[in-house]
Amino acid sequence: MDNTTEQSSLATRLAALFISTFTISCTANSGYAILAVMKDDFVNKRKWLTEAEMTDYIAIVQSSPGPMAVTSSTIIGYHVAGIAGTFAAVLGVILPPFLVMVLVTLFYEVIVGNPYVTLFLRGMQMGVVAMLFDVIMGLFRSATDKERAYPFVVMALAFAYVRFAGASIVWLVVACIVAGVVKALLVKHKEDQR
Amino acid sequence: MSLILQVFLAFVRIGAMVFGGAYAAIPIVEREVVDMQGWMTYAEFMDLLALDEITPGPILINSATFVGMRVAGIPGAIAATLGCITVPMIVALALFFVFRRYKDTPLVQSVMTSLKCMAVALIASTMLKLGVAAIAPEAPSIDVVYSVYVCAVIAVAFYLMHVRHLGPLPVMLGCGALNLLVAWLVF
Repeated sequence: MDNTTEQSSLATRLAALFISTFTISCTANSGYAILAVMKDDFVNKRKWLTEAEMTDYIAIVQSSPGPMAVTSSTIIGYHVAGIAGTFAAVLGVILPPFLVMVLVTLFYEVIVGNPYVTLFLRGMQMGVVAMLFDVIMGLFRSATDKERAYPFVVMALAFAYVRFAGASIVWLVVACIVAGVVKALLVKHKEDQR
Repeated sequence: MSLILQVFLAFVRIGAMVFGGAYAAIPIVEREVVDMQGWMTYAEFMDLLALDEITPGPILINSATFVGMRVAGIPGAIAATLGCITVPMIVALALFFVFRRYKDTPLVQSVMTSLKCMAVALIASTMLKLGVAAIAPEAPSIDVVYSVYVCAVIAVAFYLMHVRHLGPLPVMLGCGALNLLVAWLVF
């Protein structure tokens, strides 16, 4: 008897997770907007997790690669309903963009062949340049906060690599991780000597 | 089958390298898909960026679906989408198990700072390329009036987002509509 209530409540939780992340993914576009909506839904309304747990999870999400919508769904889904919860939540998050983009691609040739659409997309591309600049300013500020020369050196070297060296950036990622570890160890070594 | 596998593996790689927020996916996709695999032309990539903004969800998922679909149809789209979430999901779960009570250590912070710097450099590189392509689409020949117009649109769009904190979606739609209007009136 207990077993069936347990199972039905798991099914309910999975459905609720899927519906929540699906709805959020349909409406919110950027990572931080998604985190804000998730927090409101899961912490304030459904009380699936506490504010402190959410704060911890956001720190994990920000340290993982990939879209925050996917990584936060992964962890919150697991917290709520185990590994099945992870898959329900992630499926909910990826389905809306997947379905919309499949449709867009099917009609891509028709859409792009239209001169008005081309002009509209061209205009949007100007906006994309401005938006990337805005993103760079934000990232730049958060990377150089409370730091001295280090971030500028890494940026300059990474930029030079991207512009003038090989096309693959796998090595750039590896080099940045190693540089970050070495820097942390050097700072620690300095502090220990004092 | 091997093409589907290739698409899957390319997006596993892409998913593993995106650090620093949703927009950090743009230069990674550009490198892997346009430069290395040659699955898309630069013009198509620029269309994709515009489409990314008006479709729901993370840019990485949008791009994966679009590229997978163009390369190998629905199976390609599924392979690309699943590929790009594989590493993020594994890393997030691993961090969750290792640090149930997660605290930013100086080590993690230092690595994240480095990766953010990398994202700045990568996005800056893509922005320069996109900017040049937008300002001088017929390069090396340049239509000065058109170039000045594009620069003005970019500047105003930046002002609206950065200073007035308008969301990207209304600004993008505004830019699109403005360009239609200007093309109709002037060019």
